[in-house]
Amino acid sequence: MKGISYVLAALACALTLATAASGAGTATPGVTPTEVLIGGTIPLTGVASAYSTVGLGAAAYFRYVNVHGGVNHRKIKYLIKDDAYDPSQTATDTRELVEQDHVFAIFNSLGTEQNLATRPYLNALKVPQLFAASGATTWGRDYKQWPWTIGYQPNYRAEGTIYGRYIAKKTPKARVGVLYQNDDYGKDLLAGLVRGLGKKGGLLVSKQSYDVTDPDVQSQIAKLKAAKVNTLMVFATPQFAIQSFVYAHKLGWKPKSYVNAVSSASNIMGIATQGAGKKQTEGSISIVFLKDPNDPRWAKDKGIKLYRSIMKRYKGVHPGNVYNVYGMSVAHTFVEALKKAGKNPTRASLMKAVTHLNVKNDPFLLPGVIVHTTPTDRFPLDQARLERYHNGRWYSFGGLFRVR
Amino acid sequence: MRRALGIALWVLAVAAGIAFFLVLPRFVSDFHSRELAQAGVFFIAIVGLNLLTGYTGQISLGHGALMAIGGYTTAILVTHEHWRDVWTIPVAGLTAGAVGFLVGIPALRLSGLYLAVATFGLAVAMPSILKKFSGLTGGSEGLVFVEKAPKQITGLGGSVTIFGHSMTQNHFLYYLTWTIGLIGLTIAWLIVRGRIGRVFRAVRDSEIAAVSSGVNLAKIKTLSFALSGVYAGIAGSLLAIQTQIVNPLSFTFLLSILILVGAVVGGLGSLVGLVVGAFFVQYLPDVSTHISERPGVPDFVYGAAIIIVMILLPSGVGGFLRRLARPLTTWLYTRP
Repeated sequence: MKGISYVLAALACALTLATAASGAGTATPGVTPTEVLIGGTIPLTGVASAYSTVGLGAAAYFRYVNVHGGVNHRKIKYLIKDDAYDPSQTATDTRELVEQDHVFAIFNSLGTEQNLATRPYLNALKVPQLFAASGATTWGRDYKQWPWTIGYQPNYRAEGTIYGRYIAKKTPKARVGVLYQNDDYGKDLLAGLVRGLGKKGGLLVSKQSYDVTDPDVQSQIAKLKAAKVNTLMVFATPQFAIQSFVYAHKLGWKPKSYVNAVSSASNIMGIATQGAGKKQTEGSISIVFLKDPNDPRWAKDKGIKLYRSIMKRYKGVHPGNVYNVYGMSVAHTFVEALKKAGKNPTRASLMKAVTHLNVKNDPFLLPGVIVHTTPTDRFPLDQARLERYHNGRWYSFGGLFRVR
Repeated sequence: MRRALGIALWVLAVAAGIAFFLVLPRFVSDFHSRELAQAGVFFIAIVGLNLLTGYTGQISLGHGALMAIGGYTTAILVTHEHWRDVWTIPVAGLTAGAVGFLVGIPALRLSGLYLAVATFGLAVAMPSILKKFSGLTGGSEGLVFVEKAPKQITGLGGSVTIFGHSMTQNHFLYYLTWTIGLIGLTIAWLIVRGRIGRVFRAVRDSEIAAVSSGVNLAKIKTLSFALSGVYAGIAGSLLAIQTQIVNPLSFTFLLSILILVGAVVGGLGSLVGLVVGAFFVQYLPDVSTHISERPGVPDFVYGAAIIIVMILLPSGVGGFLRRLARPLTTWLYTRP
């Protein structure tokens, strides 16, 4: 690892020279008196295209900001490249954004492996890799090695910690069982749960893992039932989360379920309810940090009203999709950072702004949720509320949890 | 006289093709050479698949998996053994060729759709296999060259010097890929027009007739699979060298299907049209997302484009070119 810094420095120098020689001329790529050019990869096609609104929601918000004067009279131009969720394609697309389009920063690229694939490259060139759309812990944790990278959403470890603390406090006699995906995502959630349980670690009586390639989780659910678990942690992607409800129902087993945020979207819970019956999903618990546009509680909320008007006027798609709200929130944060980066922003000043955020007025986040960073705290969102599933809808309850 | 004219036309076409290949990077942006290089990767894999499917009649939906073997061979040699990236290309080709040979063994008992399904199984399983051996393959994170072995990347500093001639890394990748691609095309052409090519076609047209004429079916089928595997392995290796990463998500079954789409659009049983097939596969996603970014629309445009091409060009670009040139070829090859 030691020799790398030298080589990376050489790479950075050479490419900087190449960029300068190619006639960009200005000090900062992507910034002109009238425009700030940023870009990122989003799966518009392929297996993960359901996430495309993360990018499209952000694009709609930028259109809204541009119509209202932009930031320091500069319009924000956001180039979305389709990587079809293929990390090799992410690598090529990101190079294109940096070397051909000369973007100011990479913004909101989606996926854990996808962002890992470009992180060394972007850090070598000192191009900000902003608000990676992934819940992996590494974005906020490993900033010393990768100072130009930062994530956005509450990370999986923090989410697990929230569940652990709640269980330790409210149900000290629970018998907790975990179904988790056997990779970084599942293990991060599990590690967080153990941390949250703290001294009550003994409550955890059974851990069952599955691989993404397993056809189903029937045997894992049976083992959890056999271990007399009464509190089931579902740290699984939507398909397996739905299965766990259905198989538990078939076994006549009704544990209290905790569903991780990856799988707790209303439509997924709806499918699970259809397959397993109302009683099986009733009372499930998850976390939430965005305002859900389907939640009647926000029908008259200023933020959701703004959201709806932006979706209508700036060609947003699928207004019921909560990922749009996510996209707008992350775009809102970028705008705030850009405002703080000075009249003539540079990549360094932008990064400085991004690591000194304290945004209290994000209209798309739950009331009270603050986007906060410092140079040593690189987790922009680390607050969430718990929510309970009742009669086919999520209801948030309790106060805000804050964890790293 | 006409024969000489025919040969002259051929030589002229080849010379024009090579000249086009040499000067093309001058007319596009530096970065665009890298995209052209990526099209070259598809081209090589498609030429290999065409030998197998177009000429020997064995449908494979598992070529993405063979590309994965090539790509990971390169990545493992670069990051674990610290080989220079370009020297791993032959090893990657041979490894994938060996795997292709093994895949060819079930093909002795299966044919047609059954073989397609069996090879598809390999393509579906490959990402999981790669994640299973995470010590070697880096698991779901994959291997990132810049992080693990930056000194082994050719042209990391931005330029490459070959025989005193300096060029940018993107140009280097373009010339590397397409030189290998054109050599591969030439070899494929030599194979196809020679004795082995005739045997391949005999197997394709009727296995029973081929066997009764003394063709060793087992040998020919496995040979065809192995050859095709070498092409796929080299393509996978070049993909890894270009992107400087490998990841299981890059080698899903979709890649196998893309290669088949490229081969069919280019024209099974023809070689020249395959360049168009490669460009089709490389640029269609860009075009379809350019038309609209609304969820679902790019996928729809993509599918519709393939259907339209298949309706308009049922025998691919190769068949279309052949039809277009028929008056000329008939004139050239008939005695006056």
